[in-house]
Amino acid sequence: MAEQPLISLRGLTREYRMDAETVYALRGIELAIGTNEYVAIMGPSGSGKSTLMNVIGCLDTPTRGEYWLNGTEVSRMSDDELARVRNREIGFVFQTFNLLPRATALHNVELPLIYAGTSARERRRAASRALERVGLADRMHHRPNELSGGQRQRVAIARALVNDPSILLADEPTGNLDSVTSQEIMAVFGELHTQGQTVLMVTHEADIAAHAHRVVTLLDGVVHSDSVREAA
Amino acid sequence: MRLTNLAEGAMMAMDAIRSQKLRSALTILGIIIGVATVMSMASIVQGIRGQIFNTLEVVGPTTFRILRFFSSTPLNPDALPREVRIRPVLRAEEAEAIARLPEIHYSAIWVGVFERLEYEGSRTQPTVVYGADERFMEILGGGITAGRVFTSPEARSGAPVVIIEEEAVANIFGQINPLGRTMRIAGRPFRVVGVYRKPENIFQPPGQEISAIVPFETAKRAFRYDETNSLIILVKPREGVTVARAMDATTVQLRRMRSLRPGDPNTFDMITSDQILDVFNRLTGVFFLVMIVLSSVALMVGGIGVMAIMLVSVTSRTREIGVRKALGATRREILWQFLIEAATLTLVGGAIGIVVGLTAGEVLKRLLGFETGVPVWSAVTATAVSVGIGLAFGLLPASRAARLDPIEALRYE
Repeated sequence: MAEQPLISLRGLTREYRMDAETVYALRGIELAIGTNEYVAIMGPSGSGKSTLMNVIGCLDTPTRGEYWLNGTEVSRMSDDELARVRNREIGFVFQTFNLLPRATALHNVELPLIYAGTSARERRRAASRALERVGLADRMHHRPNELSGGQRQRVAIARALVNDPSILLADEPTGNLDSVTSQEIMAVFGELHTQGQTVLMVTHEADIAAHAHRVVTLLDGVVHSDSVREAA
Repeated sequence: MRLTNLAEGAMMAMDAIRSQKLRSALTILGIIIGVATVMSMASIVQGIRGQIFNTLEVVGPTTFRILRFFSSTPLNPDALPREVRIRPVLRAEEAEAIARLPEIHYSAIWVGVFERLEYEGSRTQPTVVYGADERFMEILGGGITAGRVFTSPEARSGAPVVIIEEEAVANIFGQINPLGRTMRIAGRPFRVVGVYRKPENIFQPPGQEISAIVPFETAKRAFRYDETNSLIILVKPREGVTVARAMDATTVQLRRMRSLRPGDPNTFDMITSDQILDVFNRLTGVFFLVMIVLSSVALMVGGIGVMAIMLVSVTSRTREIGVRKALGATRREILWQFLIEAATLTLVGGAIGIVVGLTAGEVLKRLLGFETGVPVWSAVTATAVSVGIGLAFGLLPASRAARLDPIEALRYE
């Protein structure tokens, strides 16, 4: 990490004003994440990990502090600029998959490319390739309700990958899955990491976090611990 | 970028329509009714207009007519206003004098009456019988398919001879050859001398088909007629003479015959085919305006329905909007997707409305016996209007969708 890190958070603060009260979700986060790291963010509920996830995912902006992503300061960007950054740099994987129910797996994976302005032919090609990467080449034309939970999450991962993002951002990716399927999904993340993908994952389950190479624990809106370990 | 977005919006709309068939159908019902009303009216009016233009083509757009008094609705002959009563009734001599003018090709006085045709117990409804001269085809077009037209002596003397129109022949004579037979009109005997065939495409208001032509003199003696509404002098200028010049010459001639001094107003009215068309246009214009107002109400109701459904759709798809935003959709892109969805909904309604309206118009035209014509301009307008309604009434729901906060939207249950 001698060069510029992929993600750099400096004194990141996020506060919410509720009537007269001010609630601090994040109170000065200092964090740097390099390319090809596999990081798990942990912490009890209310520790600010969801807010941190939203800020890193460019869905939310900090009240104070700086957020540098890939050499650009994104903390002061407008809504539409943030949308463009999300489209190019971030791949989201949600706990509840968040697939469009009436669209096929292929079309779900094509969605980010639609907003990137990619041509239909190129979209189809990239989406098929992403689905192959997660082992769903034979399920492309199925709708979400024809897929198992694990398959749905794979579609979501394919959708997150299709734009070739700088970071894969997973929010409790196994929260709605049984333990066997969870292991399968974690294997997919592990594989992607091996291929060079930077992965950032929020979880409250220690055994899931154990797959990551670095675990950052939040408590009351600050980094409580940050430990790197070798091998998983 | 915009094009892929358009396709995505249209796809979303078709998805929404497919998944909510009944709801969508009810939503666009107002649009369908509104568009269908305008389209059927437009196609009928277009059909009638087409017929009138065809007729003018046949008759020659240069023909003009002289009336005692011109009004768009017939006057009550028993209660004529003074300005009409002071005018003299048209006379055959006047028509003959006009015919002698070098500018004029044809001029004759005609009388139109409604009478029943009878032959040995078979009887028609009251139909149009013209008292005219032997050159009536100069005005009506068409031709004689059997027998002959009446001769000048027959015409002058008021001989009881008649030329029957083909369809009327079939009605009362059936298979019998009518030539030389005596039939009755208004109870008086007439000898059939010819069978007349109308030109193709001639426009006649329903129930006013020409069914017989007799000499003017004969008609004048045999039938009761209304001197104000039924008498008419038909004038056709010579080729190469403008209508305006022919009308000037005719006016001078009539004024001289009626001894009008300079400064006196004309005691007759003269109207051209264009003026007839104008009257028709005014009437259909009012008719159209009423239809447009009525169907606008239907379209407004339809638009409000679309707005309501789109608001429901935005709410029920809050999460989807959140996902799209997370994946990189900008506000503008979300706005356009929902606008396009609304416009697609109304466009489908409009398309159905066009088909329904055209079908209804076609059926009506067939029933009334008009030639059919597809009014392209009204189909284009209807399409544009329905898309416009979708965009206008979709704006509020779409901007609500565009303004959603992605974090809130993703958390929405």
